[in-house]
Amino acid sequence: MPYASVFKDEIKLDINYIPSKLQHRNTHLQLLSQYFRHATETPGKMTQRVIITGKVGTGKTVLAQHFGQGITHEAQQRNINLHYVHVNCRQYKGSFFLILQQLVTQFHPTFPKRGYSAEELLQILMQILKDQNIYFIITLDELESLIQNEGSEPLYKLSRIEETHTKTPMRLSLICILRELSWLDKLDASTRSTLQSNIIQLDAYTQTQLQDILKNRVMLAFKQGTVPPETITLAAELSEEEGGNARYAIELLWRAGKYADTEETQEVSPEHVRKAVGNVYAGIRRDEIAALDLHKKLFLLGVARRFQQTGGIHLSMGEVEEAYNIACEEFNEKPRGHTQLWKYVNELSSFGVIKTELSTSGQRGKTTLIGLPRIAAEDLEKELDKTLEHIKRGFAQ
Amino acid sequence: MMFEDVFSSRGRVRILRILSEIGELNISEIARRAGLNYTTTNEHLQVLEKAGLIRHKSFGRIRIYRFNEENTKARAIRDLIEMWEQETKSA
Repeated sequence: MPYASVFKDEIKLDINYIPSKLQHRNTHLQLLSQYFRHATETPGKMTQRVIITGKVGTGKTVLAQHFGQGITHEAQQRNINLHYVHVNCRQYKGSFFLILQQLVTQFHPTFPKRGYSAEELLQILMQILKDQNIYFIITLDELESLIQNEGSEPLYKLSRIEETHTKTPMRLSLICILRELSWLDKLDASTRSTLQSNIIQLDAYTQTQLQDILKNRVMLAFKQGTVPPETITLAAELSEEEGGNARYAIELLWRAGKYADTEETQEVSPEHVRKAVGNVYAGIRRDEIAALDLHKKLFLLGVARRFQQTGGIHLSMGEVEEAYNIACEEFNEKPRGHTQLWKYVNELSSFGVIKTELSTSGQRGKTTLIGLPRIAAEDLEKELDKTLEHIKRGFAQ
Repeated sequence: MMFEDVFSSRGRVRILRILSEIGELNISEIARRAGLNYTTTNEHLQVLEKAGLIRHKSFGRIRIYRFNEENTKARAIRDLIEMWEQETKSA
């Protein structure tokens, strides 16, 4: 008899899937709905700005998307033309222009791609909202990337644009999603003050909460009886250790299912989960590492190797540069200069792979210290080796 | 405007076909797709708008033209174009 997969519907384990019922985030969802009550009760009278913050895999994105679905539905019933748009800033390279362009093309798909500034585009967006009588809630997910790239300006403009038209209905509300609130320190005081009033903090999921989430996903994605309770318990336990990361838990489960399929067994056992652990990194997705450009990979390779040599918690910028230069030599690449590396550090830290902090005491002057909080240096090196292998092979031929 | 005034130009017919297919576009893009220069395209667009077949909306410096779905003549032209294209394909 041909082998039948343990999966019933794999899409339910996809990172983009929005579950119909949100577990363990109901109070937060209610709070968010409270903040936006005016949007359906007295549209146009005021706008709102809310920040959702929490570590990786604590349900920030899904909370916002769930809220978005709910409020759009409610608005429809009340005949209010409300649109919710979820934008991942990193996807648009943290460029305000590209984000705005994406928003405008929602209404005019063939809108010209060039020939105007971000400011003009924002005005155009406001004009469209006015002409079509639309109330708009924009969620800026992974806001770090936008702040990193453009600083205070975009948020300042977005939060203050309504102030210029005081007599007309206010149409633009904002939800900002951040991993760490410390990013707000990079904004100027006036922008910070307009954003900081409503903050929803999501704590890490506990083991029992993770189990509930996994049970629900198992029901949706796997065939009945293929995932025993001990598999779920183990996956939940491991994910709790990874900072209560539900995304990690779900990915573990999916990969464990894939292992079961490869072995053609009808049960996803705890052993499959253990195997999966070696291939899933909390907070960093493998495809994201693979998608980095060559020099960022070489930079990370240097970081990973140097961490293994020193065994310390931090590396100084100088040490990292040296390690990167060695990696470049190995791959026959001309090393990028200091300024470019500095950009990489900022980018990779907003991306979550590395973490930066300023040195304080014990050293003369200040230097940036680089940490690797989420992934073992050895695992990172292995992962990079895999993606860089083809280049090495190219030399050999 | 007389029927033959609108349809006497190959460029105008081409613009009508493009807009009926795509829905809406800015002038430069219409010009590019029709293989015409900007000024000629602009002139044709004004004639077509005067005839009520298309409409435009300005966003700052950008003008976006769209097929005028509300106009009976425009809808009839679109149907004619669609039917024509289908017949040509199947022939």
